[in-house]
Amino acid sequence: MENYLSNEFGRSGPLLLAEAQAKGRYVQAKRVFTSLTPEQVVDEVKNAGLRGRGGAWFPTGIKWSFMPKEPLKGPSYLVINADEGEPGTFKDRQIMEKDPHLLLEGIMIGSFAIRAETAFLYIRGEYLTAHDALATAIAELEAAGILGASAFGSGRPMRIVLHRGAGAYICGEETALLNSLEGRRGEPRPKPPFPAVWGAFGRPTSVNNVETLANVPAILERGAAWYKTAGTAQAPGHLLFGISGAVERPGCYELPLGTTARELVEKWAGGVKGGKKMRAFIPGGASTGFLPPDKLDVAMDPESLRKEGTMLGTGGIIVIPEEVAIVDAARVFSRFFRHETCGQCSPCREGSAWSDQVIARFQRGEGRNDDFALLEEIMRGSKQRTICVFPEAFAGPLGSAIKHFKGELVAASAERAAHPAGAGGATHHG
Amino acid sequence: MAELTIDGRKVEVPPGTNLIEAARKLAIEIPYYCYHPALAPVGSCRMCQVEILDPGKPPRVTIACRTEATNGLNVSTTGKDCVAARAATLEFLLANHPLDCPICDKAGECDLQNFTYRHGHGAGRFSEPKRAKLKHEPIGDHILLDQERCILCTRCVRFMGEYAKSPSLVVAGRGDRNVIATFPGEPIHSNYEGNLADICPVGALTLKEFRFKSRVWDLDSTESVCTGCDRNCSILLETKRNRLLRVRPRVNLQVNGHFMCDVGRFGLLDALNPQGREEQGFVKGARVTAADAVAALAATLAAERGKWLIVLSARLTTEELLLAKTVLGPLARTLAYVPVEANGGDAILYTGRAAANAKALERLGVTALDEAAAAKLLAEPATSGLLSFDAALAARLMAGTKGKRLALIDVVAGRAADAPGAPHGAELFVPGTLFSEKDGTFLNLDGVLQRAQRAQRWPQGTIPETVVLREIAGAAKVDVTALVAKPDLTFALLESFGLPGATLAQLPDDGLKLAAAPATAGAAAGATA
Ligand SMILES: Cc1cc2nc3c(=O)[nH]c(=O)nc-3n(C[C@H](O)[C@H](O)[C@H](O)COP(=O)(O)O)c2cc1C
Ligand code: SF4
Ligand code: SF4
Ligand code: SF4
Repeated sequence: MENYLSNEFGRSGPLLLAEAQAKGRYVQAKRVFTSLTPEQVVDEVKNAGLRGRGGAWFPTGIKWSFMPKEPLKGPSYLVINADEGEPGTFKDRQIMEKDPHLLLEGIMIGSFAIRAETAFLYIRGEYLTAHDALATAIAELEAAGILGASAFGSGRPMRIVLHRGAGAYICGEETALLNSLEGRRGEPRPKPPFPAVWGAFGRPTSVNNVETLANVPAILERGAAWYKTAGTAQAPGHLLFGISGAVERPGCYELPLGTTARELVEKWAGGVKGGKKMRAFIPGGASTGFLPPDKLDVAMDPESLRKEGTMLGTGGIIVIPEEVAIVDAARVFSRFFRHETCGQCSPCREGSAWSDQVIARFQRGEGRNDDFALLEEIMRGSKQRTICVFPEAFAGPLGSAIKHFKGELVAASAERAAHPAGAGGATHHG
Repeated sequence: MAELTIDGRKVEVPPGTNLIEAARKLAIEIPYYCYHPALAPVGSCRMCQVEILDPGKPPRVTIACRTEATNGLNVSTTGKDCVAARAATLEFLLANHPLDCPICDKAGECDLQNFTYRHGHGAGRFSEPKRAKLKHEPIGDHILLDQERCILCTRCVRFMGEYAKSPSLVVAGRGDRNVIATFPGEPIHSNYEGNLADICPVGALTLKEFRFKSRVWDLDSTESVCTGCDRNCSILLETKRNRLLRVRPRVNLQVNGHFMCDVGRFGLLDALNPQGREEQGFVKGARVTAADAVAALAATLAAERGKWLIVLSARLTTEELLLAKTVLGPLARTLAYVPVEANGGDAILYTGRAAANAKALERLGVTALDEAAAAKLLAEPATSGLLSFDAALAARLMAGTKGKRLALIDVVAGRAADAPGAPHGAELFVPGTLFSEKDGTFLNLDGVLQRAQRAQRWPQGTIPETVVLREIAGAAKVDVTALVAKPDLTFALLESFGLPGATLAQLPDDGLKLAAAPATAGAAAGATA
């Protein structure tokens, strides 16, 4: 199957409306608005088996089918999650910076599918280039009358509101995002109620990831059967795999779901930088944790990675070279997660900080044998015990470091105790 | 009704009741911090975890505060997973807690202490440096914040927004840097600030007025009502060696819910610890014992029947008012009270009407006179003097009148120990007592009759108003046998309202809501409007 997500990624600036339309952009959106019903769109996406690219891999068509069929006493909303904060993840950014109209067409079709006349695009505060590209693209659509009182002359109003976040990882969690969008503190909401019942401004809402929506125009154009010719049976289609860290050609690669990590790292990204050995790799963003190099043959799809005890997450691979000690890599992430938890739930707030303090001790050569049991207890006391799944995220690197690299952690601590000057790395004391 | 099972016992609750409240009905404790019955549940502290048992499935750990009771639900509070989850939560909360219990006002009534004993591990494993945050920061007129003791339950934040309608507290920061804070330069400004010290489950919010005054286990707690306005919030008066150290609201869903206002809380703290209280009687400028002052007053009223304007006060208990009406009615030229206007009330609890028992005066059918009418009546030649139970009011009424005599029965504070002459130059002065020094009831604006129990001893030398009134009745030969033949004055009072009698001790803890007054008894009611 030819690429349908990354065709414009080689550009230096965003593809503008006229050129995008010349390449067929908005043909599907127009067809949808002027000749299809919402059910037909939802069915096509359901049949294609499209699953959410935000990390949870929930089937998109099913999510849309939870939305009210007749908006009850007020509007329904589509909210686009462009907060992309997961370390190692930079795929949504490529779409927005280079091909904003691909996303915007997906948004229009998605909005139609759930009977929303307003879509809120919540974009990560740091993504200024992407923000400007989108703002320009939205203005182009408004000027062309595609967005406005009657999209494509269908009589159906459509508007897209661009909203910048203020730089918080937790605002990528969909209900924290909704709170933040509403001007509240960016904290996840207890569920139920789910967004389809009580979402943005208390209205039924579907929250969808940027890349998820970018898949939609192609599905409408070529059909569900075509879509399923790529990827795995349970996870069809292409994924934008971000590869970063110590590789020769870091970047964003569009490949079918189920491609092996080895193919991605060795063939596409050119292998470990400088021909060095790999200490570990992270399959799908920081929260998916470390895998040892002997797992490189794992197929990059949700089901295969689950069998390895981890997740596909965002598909953002991070390669850690031999010269970086696992304890230092683990500390980067424990600090990150400690910094980014919203902190409302006692186990997550305290557990993320406490485990970071323990890892920091290992880093300083002060690890103790009973620390492993303690860390397991911290994870046990917080996973599935909080408002959102953040503890699963901070437990990703932590648990996998213990599971796959316990010996290295012990050795690093002992070695640094013996040679304190060489401890190096981060020295932030918690 | 939903019937569910908790720890093997069945209980029926209205649908929608959460599991914490359902368990409470069975006297099963589900511990919690962020939950509060008067606030929307947020489910963040994770202390109330229980297990839901579904046949054929492993137990599911969830939070009780946001789980609604439904028919057939089977809940365990003792399953090993939820017990472990609660112990883990406590260990997390204690990790950075400063453990300054020995110097913390909350010790002894702290939910972190209590739940740790009942639901925690014996020992903590946290061995890292603890977080340092701000301690004893003033954040309002009354409250000091200790961010280290704070467990970030956000009850205070939600209380100020949801209840006090003054969203002045926030969570600032993120993660373990989270702290409770006010907006820069904007301290709390609210009539409900004092409640923060009560709703804070730990010692993070303490009252300036109570700091380091007493260990809570040394306090004597007495159920009473607030007399700051005619809401009559249910309260606890907490004393140590007869001195009132703290006033707290008591839950009463038909009066004040869970809270009280600052006018009441701190007003009572002043009013019930009067400084420079006059504890002796006066007759014609000479200091005498209270008994002698009462005898002189009784003799005067008996000798001058029908000549005195007698003004009752809403500070008196309902029983005192009943007795006063019975005894003084036949002796007075006019027996009346002066209704108090509302001043500065709010839409939450405080009515602004500083007349705790106004409703009782109205309901007893005592004549209402405004100040001008009372002053006019006093000025009439046929009136020889004013007997008042309210010294401040009497002073105002006397101000514009010449040659009238004054008798006072009241608590008067702010006097020098050797002050010459009686307060306000009264010819007769009887040192009265505070409502907290005797048992009685108050009738609030909604007609709820509540018990105020004796929390303090009256000072030697002062004399309770019922004793004064019985003396007067004896001297003036007013027949009160119909009243004193009853089990007690409360019983007589209820009967006089045409209701079934009940003694003071028999009144429910949250008060008795009286049916609306029958039309005939309400003859004087219009006068207050
Ligand atoms: C801590 C946390 C951070 C998240 N961050 C993001 C994010 O940056 N972008 C995103 O699309 N989804 C993120 N998610 C997932 C969203 O909650 C949500 O599942 C997703 O936006 C749904 O879109 P999808 O169905 O299209 O995947 C995050 C979830 C969690 C728990
Ligand atoms: S689990 Fe952590 S990040 Fe999620 S709501 Fe609770 S404290 Fe916030
Ligand atoms: S100050 Fe008290 S009430 Fe407020 S969040 Fe902290 S512990 Fe809770
Ligand atoms: S509302 Fe009235 S009765 Fe209640 S505490 Fe305030 S002053 Fe006292």
